[in-house]
Amino acid sequence: MAPIESEVIPSLPVTVTDETGTAVTITDASRIIALDLYGTLADTVVGLGLGDNLVGRGSTNTSPELADLPVVTQDGHQLNGEAVLALEPTIVLTDTSIGPREVQDQLRASGVAVVFFASTRTMDSVAEQIHAVADALGVAKAGEELAARSVQGIADAQDEIAAMTAGIDPLRIAFLYVRGNGSVFFILGEGSGADDLITSIGGNDVATAAGISGTKPANSEALLALNPELILVMSSGLESTGGLEGLLGRPGVSDTIAGQNRRVVDMNDGQVLSFGPSTGAVLHSLSAAVYAPSELRP
Amino acid sequence: MTTPTPTTPTPTTTPPRTTGAHTPGPRTTRAHTTAPRTARPRTAAPPRTTRQRQRQRRFTLTVAVLVVMLAATVIGSAMVGQFPLAVADIVASIGRRLGLVPVDAAAQFADGALWNVRFPRIALGLIVGAALGIAGTMMQGMFGNPLAEPGVIGVSAGCAVGACAAIVFGLDWAGAATVPVAAFVFGLITTFAVYFLSRSTGRTQILTLVLTGIAVNAVASALIALCVFLADTASREQIVFWQLGSLNGASWISVATTAPFLLLGGVGALISAGKLDLLALGERQARHLGVNVERLRVVSIVCVAILTSAAVAYAGIIAFVGLIIPHLLRLLVGPSHRLLVPASALGGALLISLADMLSRTLVPFADLPIGMFTALVGGPVFFVLMRRSLRGGTGMP
Repeated sequence: MAPIESEVIPSLPVTVTDETGTAVTITDASRIIALDLYGTLADTVVGLGLGDNLVGRGSTNTSPELADLPVVTQDGHQLNGEAVLALEPTIVLTDTSIGPREVQDQLRASGVAVVFFASTRTMDSVAEQIHAVADALGVAKAGEELAARSVQGIADAQDEIAAMTAGIDPLRIAFLYVRGNGSVFFILGEGSGADDLITSIGGNDVATAAGISGTKPANSEALLALNPELILVMSSGLESTGGLEGLLGRPGVSDTIAGQNRRVVDMNDGQVLSFGPSTGAVLHSLSAAVYAPSELRP
Repeated sequence: MTTPTPTTPTPTTTPPRTTGAHTPGPRTTRAHTTAPRTARPRTAAPPRTTRQRQRQRRFTLTVAVLVVMLAATVIGSAMVGQFPLAVADIVASIGRRLGLVPVDAAAQFADGALWNVRFPRIALGLIVGAALGIAGTMMQGMFGNPLAEPGVIGVSAGCAVGACAAIVFGLDWAGAATVPVAAFVFGLITTFAVYFLSRSTGRTQILTLVLTGIAVNAVASALIALCVFLADTASREQIVFWQLGSLNGASWISVATTAPFLLLGGVGALISAGKLDLLALGERQARHLGVNVERLRVVSIVCVAILTSAAVAYAGIIAFVGLIIPHLLRLLVGPSHRLLVPASALGGALLISLADMLSRTLVPFADLPIGMFTALVGGPVFFVLMRRSLRGGTGMP
């Protein structure tokens, strides 16, 4: 994730009204922690050119430039208030995908500017969220620039995809969320972000078409009935279930067209559904993997 | 201190003697024949027997040891955490809060970590532990069964249903307090449902109470499963962690809202203690001795519901404390509820404090579920005490 080119100097203080309706005044953006499940907020901070001000990261922020930062959140809901405070942040950017909520309240009570953002992640929310983050950091102008670049990136990727998929029927795609070998095996449907992603790469989201909304446990027979031609998964999820063989070993999967053709595409957990400044690049690589794998393989 | 020695009963307390292996009936009888029929304090009933004196001594010793350990744990807890602070910094921060030391802007984060995170969490741990300890004692006393714990009458499962529903449906009418409030209310509703469903012709029987509890618990589990099914990934994770229990997120508000319920339940428990002792003789005997058994049962259930719901509301489900703490302390101070209630409160607070100290410090940047540690710390201690008391020949309570 390359930052925008112009030099960025936050003009503070600013007061913003965050997602929860709270007016938050930010006086100092020198030590930032950005916490959300997908890592989009940290990605945005980097994109805005303030990556050096980050003092902690989430486990989904896997980019090399952040690798040295301490991982503040392992997964989801076990934030430790003291540990976050020990990093002495001046501003915490977060949303409701991370918790428990009381920890954010503790941070706020300790004088840290805590700004909540919308936790919905869709193609349309990309620009809006970049603006919101930029406003909170006092770099509205950089926000304009990054938002424009991100939207342009998405548009470029979509043009590319349109050219690639011209004349073929939309590919029937299902996004499966899988962890380990137990019962963590879900299908992502309408409103999960996966629907937006699949449509954006010119596919047909079979789960949404079948009326599945949100995240639903994947029933083997239902999966067979959906019969996707291609299955999308997250990389570490696929790894945790025993790779391609492990996934195909799950009842129902190997009998779908995707399973028979072993057509499974995996992508970095932190990026695939992040819907932020990297989304253009996500669409670009994902569509390459889906439609033209052999030509683009290094 | 932990090895009870058999004593020779004095003529006034002549119980049916048991030798070696022990049966529950005679022991409870022996334990309670010394209880005066009125609710006057035992010390006011002369002449005191050797046994009474010995029990009093052991109680005093146990309480003293518990208080010292608890104080040490609280101080130790205040000193450790993931925000690295030297003892001097902590003392200075306390001084600042008391107005003895001038405010220091550079210490903003240290003050925040201590006063918004660490200290309220320690306080909540004490309250939760005490509440669970007392609730467990009352349950075992009311059921006359050492396997009883608040879960039996559906309190915890009810709380879980409330919490899960609030999480899944994203309820937010009380802000961050929504989940605790929902858990508390559902816990009470479920408990009272169990009581009224098991009531027939104005009375309840222990067996029906237990069976109704099982049925209601089953329904609650089904509702929790439904919530898990309906939940999205983030909520599902929240539910799982809620059910594992944690004091993460404790605040002064949670302390202030839980404390009155502990007080209420604790007072109820102390008032009922003498009657619970008589109930140990058996329901009919207790009735002959003037105990209104049904009323005692209602009072106990209300106390257990209030105590457990308040504890579980903020902390999630913390296994083991309500079951094991009363047991453990019965081994140490004997079965009299007047002694057992305060001792269990201290014991519960101690166990939770120790467990929470581990769960918030062991893994950098993470908070571990506390239920894991209450069992990890309490299990072996309980086992050791049980083995020692078996060797001592007094058997299990």
